[in-house]
Amino acid sequence: MDLILEYRSQLVAGTIMTIQLALVSLVIALVFGLLGAWAKLSESRLAQRAAGAYTTIVRGVPDLVLILLVFFGGQVTINAIGQATGLWDYVEISKFVAGASTIGVIFGAYFTETFRGAIMAIPRGQIEAGISCGMPRQLIFRHIIWPQMVRYALPGFTNNWLVQLKTTALVSVIGLQDLVYNAFTAGRSTGQLFTFMAAAFVIYLVLTGISDLALRALDRRFSRGVVRS
Amino acid sequence: MTGISALKINDLHKSFGQHEVIKGVSMEANKGDVIAILGASGSGKSTFLRCINLLETPNSGDVFLAGEKIEMKQNRHGETVPANIRQVERMRARLAMVFQGFNLWSHMTVMENVLEGPVHVQKTPRAEAREKAEALLAKVGLSDRADYYPAHLSGGQQQRVAIARALAMDPDVMLFDEPTSALDPELVGEVLSVMRDLAEEGRTMLVVTHEMSFARDVSSKTVFLHKGEVCEEGPPAKLFSNPETEQFRAFLSRMN
Repeated sequence: MDLILEYRSQLVAGTIMTIQLALVSLVIALVFGLLGAWAKLSESRLAQRAAGAYTTIVRGVPDLVLILLVFFGGQVTINAIGQATGLWDYVEISKFVAGASTIGVIFGAYFTETFRGAIMAIPRGQIEAGISCGMPRQLIFRHIIWPQMVRYALPGFTNNWLVQLKTTALVSVIGLQDLVYNAFTAGRSTGQLFTFMAAAFVIYLVLTGISDLALRALDRRFSRGVVRS
Repeated sequence: MTGISALKINDLHKSFGQHEVIKGVSMEANKGDVIAILGASGSGKSTFLRCINLLETPNSGDVFLAGEKIEMKQNRHGETVPANIRQVERMRARLAMVFQGFNLWSHMTVMENVLEGPVHVQKTPRAEAREKAEALLAKVGLSDRADYYPAHLSGGQQQRVAIARALAMDPDVMLFDEPTSALDPELVGEVLSVMRDLAEEGRTMLVVTHEMSFARDVSSKTVFLHKGEVCEEGPPAKLFSNPETEQFRAFLSRMN
């Protein structure tokens, strides 16, 4: 216990990094997820194909491979382009940007399917009722689709978010100092790996526990008018 | 009797792929008319109704609401589309529709369902809209259900809310798409009686229905559609007692 107190600043810093990564990548994932769902449900063939390719590729490759590919490959690619065009000199991608955006793009593919399913779960007739009383499209989206979509999406959202929060642990392989990285480093330098992994274990559980509570409150809020059996 | 034209449909055609469902139907409703549209399933009667407020886009033909034509144009794929979506939205607000499946918004209370159109589409001040909504709910006999959600109401009650929601827009014409077909038999009466009241008030209504008694007793004109065409039309007293075509006679004997 003394050991953990001694290293608490590293653990706190790692936890904050993990939370930041999770939240930033969540925002990216939500944007990609909404765009993806919109594209898959749109009438444009091109948009449908692009979104289809996106979800197929991202969901078919291990997260770790994509993170390493973006971090190392992305760096090389950007600099090769810079050299070829002469538009910029050496650019270094920050580990945070690489990690958060990769995780965001990966989970955007899962959110695409979650949101698509949620929109399709809304009875078509309710949208027709909106159309037939002269509601413009954005009003139909805000008042009829969005509130119900959130409710239908919440179970899938909760799932995705918990997996995403845990997936941030993968960024320690590119040297980003998140909770796992700092706990592992402290554990190795003190020879007490078990103690620090146990601490990380507890901290992750607290984070997922808080998420669970918050999402349950959201679920209550968006379940107006639902008959529960 | 000549009156003021409320709704006029001219030579409407609609195909789904290769299959032509509406083959040139025209119809005119004067203010206060109640037109009952009959036909076997597959006759195109629901599609025709849905073409009027452009829930389905007709391939050709014109719709005039109180003399104003809904403007259409061809897009680059050669499909007919509304020329001005704002105009269409404005027209739809004056053409309220009541659906077979009620289609109430399930995340809103009865009161919120009735207020949505007036407050958010027509921008009526909320207090004023609320007062009117309360009167409309009283009219359909559901004052005590204002704070219920649709899932807690019977089918007949939901359909009466849907009628109140349609009335709240103060529509020029009301379109009813088989409003009693999804109801248990014992709930049909309560919805029909509300519709009878509306007819007596002089509301202009187009009613696609299988309720022969409603067509016979309430409509000012009955139209029988067969395979996407008007097969027979006229005052119900004449039509029902003396059907001219074999198709309508066969239809009537099937319904009785």
